[in-house]
Amino acid sequence: MEELLSSPYLPPLVATLLIIALFPLVAGYMVLAERKVLADLQVRLGPMRVGPYGALQPLADALKLMLKEDIIPSGADKWVFWMAPVLSTFTALSAFAVLPLSDKFYVADVNIGILFILAMSSIGALGLILGGWSSNSKYSLMGSLRAAAQMVSYEVPLGFATVTGIMCAGTLSMQGIIQAQYERGVWGAFDNYLLMLIPTVLFIIAGTAETNRAPFDLPEAESEIVAGFHTEYSGFRFALYFLAEYAAIFVISGICVTLFFGGWLRPFPNVGFLETPLNVGLPVVLFAAIALACIKGATRQIITGFKLGMFGLAGAALLLAALFAVPVINPLIVGLFWFLAKVAVLVYMFIWYRGTFPRFRYDQLMDVGWKWLIPMSLGGLIVNSIAQMLARS
Amino acid sequence: MANPINTFLLTDLLKGLWTTFKNQKPSLVVTEQYPRERPPVMERYRGAPRLNTHPETAETLCISCNLCALACPEQLIVVTSERNPETRRKDLTNFTYDTSRCMFCGLCEDACPVDALELTQDFEMATFTREGQIWDRQMLEEGPLPTEYRH
Repeated sequence: MEELLSSPYLPPLVATLLIIALFPLVAGYMVLAERKVLADLQVRLGPMRVGPYGALQPLADALKLMLKEDIIPSGADKWVFWMAPVLSTFTALSAFAVLPLSDKFYVADVNIGILFILAMSSIGALGLILGGWSSNSKYSLMGSLRAAAQMVSYEVPLGFATVTGIMCAGTLSMQGIIQAQYERGVWGAFDNYLLMLIPTVLFIIAGTAETNRAPFDLPEAESEIVAGFHTEYSGFRFALYFLAEYAAIFVISGICVTLFFGGWLRPFPNVGFLETPLNVGLPVVLFAAIALACIKGATRQIITGFKLGMFGLAGAALLLAALFAVPVINPLIVGLFWFLAKVAVLVYMFIWYRGTFPRFRYDQLMDVGWKWLIPMSLGGLIVNSIAQMLARS
Repeated sequence: MANPINTFLLTDLLKGLWTTFKNQKPSLVVTEQYPRERPPVMERYRGAPRLNTHPETAETLCISCNLCALACPEQLIVVTSERNPETRRKDLTNFTYDTSRCMFCGLCEDACPVDALELTQDFEMATFTREGQIWDRQMLEEGPLPTEYRH
């Protein structure tokens, strides 16, 4: 037992198990958040019936997807059809291995961390392509063809933007990138006299395309090709694709936060007097506000169970607020808080784009990718290297 | 053609984002949570038919004159009665009303001389069978039972 507890493999193992066990739930609630935020943007209500304000909807959805019949179309390439969603999910989840969730909580800090994530997310694209090509359906095939073309065009600007960020930080290790931003005293996005804003914006655009989100959701364009590459998928395999999509969104937001928005660092990490208000005050106020909102929501519920549920949520939020106020626990969890808060803002942006922008036409997509994003990301790289060199000399 | 500077700085996109963001107002939501929230029904809405009874004696107001059945353009009302030898009046025995064929024109309630037949504001008339759409006297007098929803 002693040996086990002192083993260097224990913390990464625990972190891995925690992430694999919790992420499906997180993905479920990301779906709920997406449906609620979209409903807000479109002046609707969104899910309201399962649990208070639809809070249990993800669980109901998961149950439904697990109980549904799993259909493999006749003429489909069974093995590829079977493997494709597994491949997507596997690569998306393995990218979490190097994601620096906080200064204390991460699986591994590899010296080629960001390369690993980019490699994994590129292989993840194969999952979509194989899934569509093996389905023996024209819609799936169309979706996959689009996915293939889109991945190829948008990997390049994504790569250039990432390289610019790496160049600024001077390391490939995810923790090292955050450390470098701490040492330079500024978030990556505002480095080099704001010139780094170019790769930041390009990264967000290319990342949206890379994760197949609106307005770049051509591979699964509902209004054109039913559901694109996952038209023929049902039941649990479909759930795996869903999980992979939301994992990819989380990972892309995570990389963006790490490269350009300071990872788990608080805003203004070098300004000493802001430590207490930002690291203790803000989380406490935020969670207390959430608790208040829950209590206010509870008074509007007419069903006793829902009312109790809302009070339970309020209690949990209050507990979190209390945890952040304890001086011993605060440094352990505040990094995680900042990382997840920044990722949440980016995920909200992803949903916001979906609620605002209409889908690109296929040729417009290629146009934006090759004629605008690639030259601009290349230009951003050059301009930033020059600025970096001038600053060093 | 849009201003190229605006295109380059993405101000058009930001403008679009701001438009969607500022339009999210809970007060503008028109969704009704139907079984929990009932929509207001207009006063003159013609819904489920009802055969009125006397509020004190609970006897039917219908005098079996058959005017409603004659007025009905769909001929879906059947009034059956028998002559009471003592009072020399017609006593209503049964009254069927086929709501599946009804177009809720209201001519029957206009024709009724004693205001016995009335189209109420109740609109929940769905049944699981076609036969369930044909309402008899008991159903018409009691009205459709309020549906119980367990959320």
